[in-house]
Amino acid sequence: MATRFGDWLNERSGWRAAYTMVFLRKIPKINWAYTLGSATLFAMIIQIVTGILLTLYYVPDPQLAYASVGYITNELPFGWLIRGLHHWGASAMVLLVVLHMVRVIIYGAYKYPREFTWITGVALLLLTFSFGFTGYLLPWDQRAYWATVVGTQIGEVTPVVGDTLRAVMLGGEEISGLTLSRFYGAHVWVLPSVLLLLVGIHIYLVIRNGITSVPKRGE
Amino acid sequence: MVEEKGHPNGIDEQPATDAKPKAGEDLDHRVSRRKLLVTGVGVMSGAIAATVGVPAIFYVAGPAQEQGGEQDWIRLGTASSIETGTQTLMKATVERRAGYLTTTEELSVFVSTENGADFVALSNICTHLGCRVRWVDDQNAFFCPCHNAVFGPDGTVLEGPPPRPLDRFETKVEDGQIFIRRT
Repeated sequence: MATRFGDWLNERSGWRAAYTMVFLRKIPKINWAYTLGSATLFAMIIQIVTGILLTLYYVPDPQLAYASVGYITNELPFGWLIRGLHHWGASAMVLLVVLHMVRVIIYGAYKYPREFTWITGVALLLLTFSFGFTGYLLPWDQRAYWATVVGTQIGEVTPVVGDTLRAVMLGGEEISGLTLSRFYGAHVWVLPSVLLLLVGIHIYLVIRNGITSVPKRGE
Repeated sequence: MVEEKGHPNGIDEQPATDAKPKAGEDLDHRVSRRKLLVTGVGVMSGAIAATVGVPAIFYVAGPAQEQGGEQDWIRLGTASSIETGTQTLMKATVERRAGYLTTTEELSVFVSTENGADFVALSNICTHLGCRVRWVDDQNAFFCPCHNAVFGPDGTVLEGPPPRPLDRFETKVEDGQIFIRRT
């Protein structure tokens, strides 16, 4: 039955060829360090799912943000789990993405013909940091507030454009409701749009170019 | 489209080297390495999806389980202040909690009694379009200014467009205080 449906669908979509190309492609003999990219992708999916669930209750309003987070964590059934997964998943993302990059550096996997894969990867690393930074403000507690003060002051020391950069980040001279809503908008709309596009390109390139084998002595 | 030969997946199910059947091996019950891995990954993915997915159902349905956050019995005032044969307008502030938000609502209720022991509490909101009705003592009736509806002292519709009588509250008296509850 399942096979018959698979055949039916395959005749109309060619999904088996795509499946083979993605999941059954030939790869060199590799080790566990090569799973870090997939692990990052998996953590990203968890972040997307739990993030979408959090938007059902979270309100990016200075009066209500903290209360809505408290409601999610303390009153909703499994709210603590959904928020906890998103909270720890964020740290896992940063950790995994850095380890993934370290593996690529150590094995020299950024070399021809994979330079562009590397470039998209660096952009994805910066995106991950941006996610962490914008998401950190959203609970709207003391830690969030002061982390954003510090973070934007770091941005301020940028030569020439520093002051403007900080003002644009904050939506004014100081942290306000405008900061909260623009961080929220960045966190749930702007960054994810760019992320999904880049992840698509990154994975396409990985599949197209194949993955590197572990370098041998002297290589 | 040209029919491909072999397995519908377009791949060779039998691994090339280590799959050669040994003598006396049960060929029908051998599980290929690929099949084991695919199944294992599938089972793990399913378990993870369930770990997030099942709590997510409760999480999404959460507010629907709440009791509306409204106080049950609402205190209106002292029962002895209600005179027989007329309607007394009493007010109460009701707190309503929805998630992290608490809103207050002013509730106005007409209370009447015939014997000083059994009380009738009627909402002052017209069942037609939600205007406030007022009590006209001379005519012994409620009058709605919006579309000239008239309700009797027990809330029944006497004239005009309202589809049903005035809403009634459940009442109780405790320690000389009168309480109402939505039914």
